[in-house]
Amino acid sequence: MAAIDLHDLTKAWGNFTAVKRQSLAIRDGEFMVLLGPSGCGKTTTMRMIAGLEEPTSGDILIGGQRVNDLAPRERDIAMVFQSYGLYPHMTVADNIGYPMKLRGMGRAEREAAVRAAADKVELGAFLHRKPRELSGGQRQRVALARAIIRRPRAFLMDEPLSNLDAKLRVSTRAEIKHLQHELGVTTVYVTHDQIEAMTLAHRVAVMQGGEIRQLGTPEDIYDQPADLFVAGFIGSPAMNLLAGEIQDGRFTAPGGIAVAVRVAHRGAAVLGIRPEDLRVLPPGQGDVAAAIYTVELTGEATLVTADVGGARLSARADRGFRAGIGSAIGLALDTSRLSIFDPGTTLRIKDAP
Amino acid sequence: MRDRTLKYLLLVPAAVLVLGTTLWPLAVSFTTSFRDWRLTRSVTPGPFIGFEHYITAATDDPEFLNALTVTATFVLIDVTLTLVCALGLALLLRRAGVLQSLTRAVLILPFAVSPALVGISFRFMFNAEMGVFTWLAGAVFPPLQGVVWLGDRSAALLVLVFSDAWRWVPYMTLVVLGGLAALPREPEEAARMDGAREWQVLRDVTLPALLPVLAIVGILKTVFALKMFDQVVTLTGGGPGSSTVTLAYLVYSIAFRWYDMGYASAVAWILTAMLMGLAVWYTRLVLRKPDA
Repeated sequence: MAAIDLHDLTKAWGNFTAVKRQSLAIRDGEFMVLLGPSGCGKTTTMRMIAGLEEPTSGDILIGGQRVNDLAPRERDIAMVFQSYGLYPHMTVADNIGYPMKLRGMGRAEREAAVRAAADKVELGAFLHRKPRELSGGQRQRVALARAIIRRPRAFLMDEPLSNLDAKLRVSTRAEIKHLQHELGVTTVYVTHDQIEAMTLAHRVAVMQGGEIRQLGTPEDIYDQPADLFVAGFIGSPAMNLLAGEIQDGRFTAPGGIAVAVRVAHRGAAVLGIRPEDLRVLPPGQGDVAAAIYTVELTGEATLVTADVGGARLSARADRGFRAGIGSAIGLALDTSRLSIFDPGTTLRIKDAP
Repeated sequence: MRDRTLKYLLLVPAAVLVLGTTLWPLAVSFTTSFRDWRLTRSVTPGPFIGFEHYITAATDDPEFLNALTVTATFVLIDVTLTLVCALGLALLLRRAGVLQSLTRAVLILPFAVSPALVGISFRFMFNAEMGVFTWLAGAVFPPLQGVVWLGDRSAALLVLVFSDAWRWVPYMTLVVLGGLAALPREPEEAARMDGAREWQVLRDVTLPALLPVLAIVGILKTVFALKMFDQVVTLTGGGPGSSTVTLAYLVYSIAFRWYDMGYASAVAWILTAMLMGLAVWYTRLVLRKPDA
């Protein structure tokens, strides 16, 4: 187990810069999720930590040791791949035992280690099968077992759940979280799925365009997104973003929106509020009058999309809420949970003290 | 009903073509192999004599036995050399790079040279007095000075192998490169992460995954090597002695130098039977359903 430090890490191919001078300190035993849309540089960053990609500049330290010039096998880290990366001609047992075979562990000892690792991911009954005889979820568990059989200094996981179906994804996610907690191994996990990031991470690094936009706990990035990109990327449905302006401590936007805000900023601003921080009320109540654009039932809630002066706001109403399209409602904003952004810099404006 | 008739009608031209150009000549040569027919005695095929030609070939013909040994030796060395070189080159050319792309682009050139011309070029290069290879070999390794490459029984066969490998290696390299390009990248990277050195990745992951492609290359090359003819004619003429007489060259000699059409057909059919066996094996490999 070890901490991983990235210093001014850059990766460029010709004119294209995939990762731009990024620094990131991952603590010993931490579950770090790199989150971002495709092409944001998250996988490239992970592959540089793995040693599968050579950084253009910058340093990678694992456990305080600079590993830039070390081959992947010398870095003592294990990786789980998106398409599993299993050895198709080997049995499950040989797949899991391969790292130990390379380390010269004897047959009997290896078999015991394979069994222990396989039992941890509930694969004990499949040891003699070939990967092609397993389901997607089982294959990914073989990859996990192969990673945990040796106690590496760190785990790297490259979108390990994205080839699984929705139901399996939820259960495997829980297994990964439990395993990481049990083993306490530093883990870097790459995903484009914000739910995975929120549920798994100790801390999340949200990336876009080769840069880390925000680094923080899942609560931080959800409640206090650092910029408009993070605000729009995290959350489903996404945070409502309304363009307007701030005068004398009040944010106003077309459609009669006017709320008191606690920022010192004046002039053009973007107000962000999450759907669950908007309350749907009978017409005439609340801060804003709105008309229902559409209503969607999700089971655990009712999503209401309302039209406010041409802008659409989505609000999460009680699961029992019912109303026809076009009917008038009132919306109340939870002013303690507002985010204000500067439309010029796209950055979040902090509350005035 | 009319459509059913029509579809068979439309097949007729192709069927006639295959029948007339392939199946008919094959059938004729097959029946000829059971007849006594020497052009020196008669222009029409003689009487049927059963398996006599085949029995002669199997029991009482040192020329045939020699050609069989020569062909087997040739195939063994040629196929091994081609496979090893093609695999090695493909692994070297696999990595992205300007030099690699350029090399890949010119790889097809040797294959564009006609095999007869390959034989003639090699005959000049291995000429005892003015051959560039003769000179080069002697300059690099003095004990080889003055070796008459095409005059030595073993050396002549090796030169023949060399000329054929020169022609085929680049093409087979392209085939192996295609196989390598189709391999998923993750298992190899997983092996590197698991702690494998590059040669262990090659042995444990890459080669097993490449095995189907290598099998196909091996079988194809065996088929082509078994048919070795052009360079024998233009490079060694079967000599010295009969040390480079391959089966295909023997068939040609029996038919068009000794005019024994019946016996030539029989030897040709022995060769054809081997080729057909390999072709069936090859087809099975290629058409086999890939397992996920």
